[in-house]
Amino acid sequence: MGVVGWLILVAIVVVIAVVAFLVIRRRRRGGGVFATRDRR
Amino acid sequence: MRLLMTASQIRGLPVVTVHGGEDMAEVRDVIYSPESGRLVGVTLNKRGFFAGRSRDVLSAEAIHAVGQHAVMVIDESSIVAPEDAPEDVRHPATERDVLGDDVLTEGGSSLGKVVDLVLLVGSSGEVVGYQIDKTGGGRGYIPLPAQLSVSGDALVVPNITEEFIQDDLVGLGASVDEFRSRLGLS
Repeated sequence: MGVVGWLILVAIVVVIAVVAFLVIRRRRRGGGVFATRDRR
Repeated sequence: MRLLMTASQIRGLPVVTVHGGEDMAEVRDVIYSPESGRLVGVTLNKRGFFAGRSRDVLSAEAIHAVGQHAVMVIDESSIVAPEDAPEDVRHPATERDVLGDDVLTEGGSSLGKVVDLVLLVGSSGEVVGYQIDKTGGGRGYIPLPAQLSVSGDALVVPNITEEFIQDDLVGLGASVDEFRSRLGLS
């Protein structure tokens, strides 16, 4: 594989990593319903 | 008759200013005080599909109204930096998830487990009931007094609550006033 091939491969890996990061961040957006700490 | 919605329906709602109609953020976590029967605030996500968590938060005092389609605030200054917010809103007690807590009557009967909070639409975060997984099976709704006793991980409600278990939100909305008048609260 030549230099161009390696560059394409690296570009594909970078794109996959960025998309995975964004999807994971999106999935973490879900929150919860939490009580205050004074509840004892 | 009261118009009601659940806390799950609030999560993900846009936060919009009354003055200007600007869509500023969306609701992430709902922070609830069982003792006062009210929301104390919400944490926020930034707007946009891939946007992440926002550092800024919204205290209940700054909420103009919780509506079915948006949480309304007066203006941009309503959303504040964490340093300017109450401790429970700045650092939500994520280990104190209300959902799944037992609901016990003062007489010691278990009514079930909390599935969701029920809020008054148009208020600034008044919680008027719980959606529960009933001990005997199935889902139901119970009204709450304005203030609650809390015991460890259980939410303690008056004995007469058992008589007011409803099958749907409409039934709950109709029963809240009668429930509170029976308790001498209104």
